[in-house]
Amino acid sequence: MAQTEKAQRTAVARQRSNIYGLLATAYRQEVTSEFLQQLRAPEFLEILSDLGIQLTSDFLQKPEEELLDDLAVEFAGLFLGPGGHISPHESVHHQRDGVEGGMLWGETTAEVKKFIESAGPDYSPEYTGLPDHISVELEFMEALARHEEQAWSVDDEEEAFRCLDMERRFLEEHLSRWVPAFCDKVMATAELSFYRELAGLTKRFIEFDWQELQEVEE
Amino acid sequence: MKALTRRNLMKLGAASGAILATGGIFKTKALAGSIELAKGGKDFSPETGKERQMSPSACWNCVTRDSMIGFVEDGRLVKLEGHPGSIRGKGKICAKGAAGINQLYDPDRVLYPMKRAGKRGEGKWKRISWDEALTDLAARLKKLRDEGHPEKFMFHYGRMKASSSKIIKSAFLGAYGTKTVGNHTSICEGAKWTSQELTWGKHYDNWDFDNTNFVLNFGSNCLEAHTNSIPVLQRLVDAMVERNVRLVTFDVRLSNTAARSSEWVPIVPGTDGAVALAMCKVIMDAGLYDKEFFKFIKATKDHNASTSKKVSALKKQLAKYTPKWAEKISGVPAAKIKALALEFAKTKPAVIVSYRGAVAHYNGTETERAMQMLAAITGNIDNPGGRCRGVGAKWKYPKGPKKKPKGKGLKITAGFKGDTAYPSHGANHQVLKMIKDGKAGRPEIYMWYCYTPVYANGECQENIDILKDENLIPFTVSVNAYYDESAALADLILPNPSYLEWWDYEDMVSPAQIPEYYIRQPFVKPLGESRDFKDVVCDLANRMGFPLGFNSAEEFVKMSCEKTPAVKAAGGFEYMKKHGVYHDPKAKPEYYGYKKEVKAADLKKDGVVLDKATGVYWNWHNSKAKSEAEAKEKGYTKSKNAYKGYVGQEIGGKVYKAFKPDKLNKSGYFELYSELLEIKNFSPLPTYYPIPEHEKMGSDKLILTTFKVAVHIHSRSANCKWLTECYNDNPAWINPVTAKRLGVKNGNKIKVKSEVGEITTTAKVTEAIVPGVVAISHHLGHWEYGRYASGKKAPLAGGNDPDSKHKWWKTHGVHPNWIIPNSSDPISGQQRWMDTVVTVTKA
Repeated sequence: MAQTEKAQRTAVARQRSNIYGLLATAYRQEVTSEFLQQLRAPEFLEILSDLGIQLTSDFLQKPEEELLDDLAVEFAGLFLGPGGHISPHESVHHQRDGVEGGMLWGETTAEVKKFIESAGPDYSPEYTGLPDHISVELEFMEALARHEEQAWSVDDEEEAFRCLDMERRFLEEHLSRWVPAFCDKVMATAELSFYRELAGLTKRFIEFDWQELQEVEE
Repeated sequence: MKALTRRNLMKLGAASGAILATGGIFKTKALAGSIELAKGGKDFSPETGKERQMSPSACWNCVTRDSMIGFVEDGRLVKLEGHPGSIRGKGKICAKGAAGINQLYDPDRVLYPMKRAGKRGEGKWKRISWDEALTDLAARLKKLRDEGHPEKFMFHYGRMKASSSKIIKSAFLGAYGTKTVGNHTSICEGAKWTSQELTWGKHYDNWDFDNTNFVLNFGSNCLEAHTNSIPVLQRLVDAMVERNVRLVTFDVRLSNTAARSSEWVPIVPGTDGAVALAMCKVIMDAGLYDKEFFKFIKATKDHNASTSKKVSALKKQLAKYTPKWAEKISGVPAAKIKALALEFAKTKPAVIVSYRGAVAHYNGTETERAMQMLAAITGNIDNPGGRCRGVGAKWKYPKGPKKKPKGKGLKITAGFKGDTAYPSHGANHQVLKMIKDGKAGRPEIYMWYCYTPVYANGECQENIDILKDENLIPFTVSVNAYYDESAALADLILPNPSYLEWWDYEDMVSPAQIPEYYIRQPFVKPLGESRDFKDVVCDLANRMGFPLGFNSAEEFVKMSCEKTPAVKAAGGFEYMKKHGVYHDPKAKPEYYGYKKEVKAADLKKDGVVLDKATGVYWNWHNSKAKSEAEAKEKGYTKSKNAYKGYVGQEIGGKVYKAFKPDKLNKSGYFELYSELLEIKNFSPLPTYYPIPEHEKMGSDKLILTTFKVAVHIHSRSANCKWLTECYNDNPAWINPVTAKRLGVKNGNKIKVKSEVGEITTTAKVTEAIVPGVVAISHHLGHWEYGRYASGKKAPLAGGNDPDSKHKWWKTHGVHPNWIIPNSSDPISGQQRWMDTVVTVTKA
């Protein structure tokens, strides 16, 4: 493989990892002050705008403190409860024949956990959530793409392809199977443009990435 | 809406990276640890989804002892595979290896020490504790030892290699003081080994298929059942498929090896030697011999003879062995013999293969000598692509107590006095007969380990009668995981685990000609109360007051890993536990070791003398000679254990390492002329003599031949349900011409009768066997060994194998050994499996 192509693949893996990381952060917990400042920086907003993301005044113009509060309330309403919310766990959304869905810690959860552990990582003792939370799945993709980037950068083509294969499998078996439908629900329910657009971006990115990975030549 | 593109996503990615890199974003990482794809993280079964643990170990279902990987799922061993890191097995194991799991989870396994309750062999048992069993056994053993008769404890093993042999034989039995130790080599290929010891020294020939261009095979079913099976057979297949190497197989039966050969040459049983000698004649007469190698050949009494003298001596010896002569004896056309001889001599390099089909005969040792001659005169010895001396790992290990008593032994392991000239690997199929005879003494305690004296030898009924007789053998102990035909005649059964539950270091020959160090480690803890016998002997030694210096096999293996320089440098015990195998990545294949010269300083060491009669430099201190004067007077050839002091061979004014002897006082030459045989009134040069019983047999008689199949071990695998499902019946193969003469049709019940017994079986009429022969495989016809082998459950067996209800087969085959006499090749003591004359009639 030509060096220029390797450099290109290194860069793509790095940026994909970053995007997965950013999305994972957004779903893991409520937006923090520091995060918000970065998100609202003009250069970043411009990039978002180029991607067709339409954030409105409820995000762009509110004072920081008030906005952080609004976002935290929306985060809880969407993803935490109490009461009706959109559970951000794969086993609730992923519909499969012969597997009982619609529940927490289902068979699918065990599969996700095993998939992740089979690639090396363990669940950190500090992490108190469930193994198939959307943010964990995104974080796992972040780690895989980061590993792929490193493999390309040290010319370990075999490991890079092994990693790509793993990413493709995880998208195929998990993320692509449930995240778009989940995002649709979030988009339909969200009151703030931030979470509506986050869900939209997530859905489009997952579908884009899944498509791209299927076309990567080996 | 604007579409996502790689370009604008790259911008988002870069910006996201910047955001992630700033502090205070705060995200509890859910995942710890790194991605480890190549090394593998936790493994999960694709089928059951259960967590799997993978670890390396080594097989033990046959002597090949392939390195392997096992998968443990929820504490249960679920799969065995070849070890991809092994240079021997190259990631493969055979069906027998994969079915090892059945050994571990055999529902008829013996899980507790058991003591006979009724009469011996009556089948009544009581479960006892280990402490009770060992207290009793240690008291019995100690009594014999204290009375000065340790030799009355006979220990008889079937398979005991590498660390198992060092712990049990060298350390424990050595410290105890008994030399009444039997093995099973004479019922395997003893003649081959003795023959090799008479010609090139240490036994075991590796066939270098990786580099050969032609393979000439006499009686080896090496694609199905070789002693280095998987490592060797895949290399032969590669040679044939990738390089179009021709394989020509001489066999009385169209084995799967013969069937896969380029050519199958049917041959009369016991006549391979005649064909090989005729080939030697063709090659010598055509001047196609390797002059250079002749320098290392001894072909005359005078060890200083010139090459031309050696050549004429061989030509003279071979004069009568014309292809026409061989054709009359073997049935192989003279033209075929000549053509193959020329092809063999002209194709460089080429390799001679031989095994039990050729050597388990009255003339087996001589036949193997003829094979060695074919290889030697064409220079196909120890060369790339030829017949090479086996190369295995050389472990260093703890030797047990420093002070060991001078051992004593009953002379019952090498056959009756005068029966055999050089039983260098024993004649242990005669042990029970010798016990019955009693003239050489009888053991008071007879213990066997991974061995089944009743089933594995010929004349089963006599074996049973002797073993059952408490007057002949007062106390019998079986160390076994299974209730086999011999365990049924024990007074005490000590439950061994399967090999999947124990430790060993291993050292089997590497066909890469580069030594491979490897270990066996347990996948699971021993089931029930079974205990590795290697751990048990440590316990017994402590009880008798001579601690071995280690308390378990694991400790012994660990110490050996640290003592062995190559393994220690690689990371020692921890490395071996993790990787299972080690070979020096910089090592080059070992060839032409005989051409190395001995350093001048080694010839000047104290005790080293030159034996003028043979040209051998040897150190008399290492022999049994009491003084230099005695050593010189008796000479190298006749001094007991002189071979242990061998230093080098003088050839043409130089001293070479040459062909170092083992077990016999052979010189350093490649001896085609054997003074050792001459002393015992055998022909010094390779010769052919017919099998007496075949000479005398009437035209109504047949020759019984035996064989092994790919999916079974000789006598220890019929309890493996996967294997027995594949092969559970063994009809007798008979050629249609012979069958017609006997009035036997395919599927008819027939009686096969010899001078020692009669069995009833079914006829399989097939052209895949030469006329005048009946072939019956080993492995089957068990009358114990659990439900899968014989349909009979073992006492105290577990009844919970869900597969029991899937056992669809009702046939358990027949065992040919009932009708095969225990008799020996007069040179080596080899059991003559393939010589029995029988009468076949419709039942």
